[in-house]
Amino acid sequence: MSLPVLDIQGLSVNYQTDQGPLQALRDVNLRVPEGKIIGIVGESGCGKSTLISAIIRLLAPNARIAQGSVVFKGKDLLSLSPEQMRSLRGDEISMVFQDPMTSLNPVLTIGRQMSDVQHRSAASRADKNARSLLMLERVGIPDPEAQLRRFPHHLSGGMRQRVAIAMALMAEPALLIADEPTTALDATLEVQIIHRLRELQREFDCAILFISHHLGVIAELCDEVVVMYAGEVVESGSLRDVFVDPRHPYTRKLLECDPARITQRTRELPVIEGGLPKLVNLPRGCIFRERCSQSLERCSLERPRISGDHHQAACHLLETVP
Amino acid sequence: MSALLRVRDLHVRYPLSGGLLSLTGNNPSFVDVVHGVSLDINRGETTAIVGESGSGKTTLAMALCGLAPVCAGEVHFLGDKLERDRKNRLNPDRKRIALMFQDPVGSLNPRMTIRKALGEPFRIHQADTRDPAQEALRLLSQVGLNEDFADRYPHQLSGGQARRVGVARALALRPDILIADEPTAGLDVSIQGEVLNLLSRLQQEMGLGILIITHNLNIVRHVADQMAIMYMGRFIEQGDSQKIFSQPRHPYTAALLSANPSPDPDAQSTPIELLGDVPSLLHRPTGCEFHTRCPRARPLCSSSFPDLTKSTGHQVFNCFFPMD
Repeated sequence: MSLPVLDIQGLSVNYQTDQGPLQALRDVNLRVPEGKIIGIVGESGCGKSTLISAIIRLLAPNARIAQGSVVFKGKDLLSLSPEQMRSLRGDEISMVFQDPMTSLNPVLTIGRQMSDVQHRSAASRADKNARSLLMLERVGIPDPEAQLRRFPHHLSGGMRQRVAIAMALMAEPALLIADEPTTALDATLEVQIIHRLRELQREFDCAILFISHHLGVIAELCDEVVVMYAGEVVESGSLRDVFVDPRHPYTRKLLECDPARITQRTRELPVIEGGLPKLVNLPRGCIFRERCSQSLERCSLERPRISGDHHQAACHLLETVP
Repeated sequence: MSALLRVRDLHVRYPLSGGLLSLTGNNPSFVDVVHGVSLDINRGETTAIVGESGSGKTTLAMALCGLAPVCAGEVHFLGDKLERDRKNRLNPDRKRIALMFQDPVGSLNPRMTIRKALGEPFRIHQADTRDPAQEALRLLSQVGLNEDFADRYPHQLSGGQARRVGVARALALRPDILIADEPTAGLDVSIQGEVLNLLSRLQQEMGLGILIITHNLNIVRHVADQMAIMYMGRFIEQGDSQKIFSQPRHPYTAALLSANPSPDPDAQSTPIELLGDVPSLLHRPTGCEFHTRCPRARPLCSSSFPDLTKSTGHQVFNCFFPMD
């Protein structure tokens, strides 16, 4: 088996707050194999964004990486100098954000911005332009030549997001991080973007780390899924394992809550009772205990370890039932 | 039963700024954002408007609340015609039509505690209440937040909590109609369920007519009695939501419903591919606006706009060659 593109081991991140350290990520393991699409699901506040920021080393100033390693193609990213890190970003690791309107510069043309992201290349301006054209064609933008002269506000939401994807893939990165790239789009465009991402991923053979809380999109796109809850990975495995045979009670609840899976029309949608625990003074034991309907005495004493081979979950129930 | 709100052939048109381009003469001097929309909102019923971003959903909501200018059309609220003011905006009784904005944190004043924000509607409308602060607590408990939240600031709330405060504030003056613009955007499925359950509970208690604007089809299926599909400022299909889900007639509706990704890895979805992109509102296609992307389009579609066709029940649509 080839080395994973990204291998995160035991990553813990704290934010310094007035009330003490807020433990936003605790002991997170995540592997992104070459050429695979890995989906991360979890409620807002589960640490998805902190995780991405830690990978690309753009954490807030009050954040501190307490322990762990982030290894990208054999290099530990946490030990790189800011300059070395800068040269990786947008080149070997690139990103697509949620809102394409705010990630594009409103006062520069699409063409200018697409040439600017090629600042590392020694190619002439004409060559850079030609490459921009090619990329716009690849992501399926009609009449690319005309688009290069236009400004972001001239384009529709779907087009802007495709421009953002074209820019992210410009340098043929080994890893693309996509943070909810389709939340701002309607269903037809969402499907278009997902299919386009799949095609491009095959064509460029890059790995994608895809963050979304739209379970349907994850099911459509990803090979493997990581489920996060309150700063921990509670379950991971292949898409089929996690979505068809969920092992962690939280994953099960989350899937049950998705209105798309409820075929019978209902006015009373299922919810997960309770709220996220405070991450400043962590409760002892399992982090999901207070909202879990199956919790045991052991769950309040001891934190469950993540176990399993390919399909992993962190839950005491799995250990007691052989 | 007469409708709470009756909208007939509503148009919202924005002028384009002058600039040098207007001198070339090739460009229109206005853009039609809402293009002849008719709609009824009934007591105790939920109506959903679905459509992609830029289709005019939010502008329609703003126009109904008197926040966007209306250039033609009539709106009746409880049988009374709403007049337009000097700026061509409708002048509804804002105590009775409440609006919940898209961005819940952004629509709260960051320097106001929740207690103060919830008391504000009473102060503005000089509603007869002895103690706005006391009312604020009552509203909080109505939306399932405890008293501790009263002294918090908006940035101290999570997305779901801010949404609840948005609901509380919109319902403060006991309106007849609540217009909720993307009430669940950016929320995860569990919290989304909480907010929708809250809305439907309050709807039953207060007999609210709710207008939900969203592009999440999964929630429409569960909460909406009526739905309308909007494309380039028009309703291209509307009617009973169950009926539309089971038998869409307009090709755009069919494509939209087929494109909804399913969370079941074994589901075999065959989305109907749409050609190209949404055309610009500045260059509205002739005939049926959808013909540039429609898999069923024929020459007729590009020359004339199809009349409203009535299907069985209350379902109506505009298409020459509808789905079976």
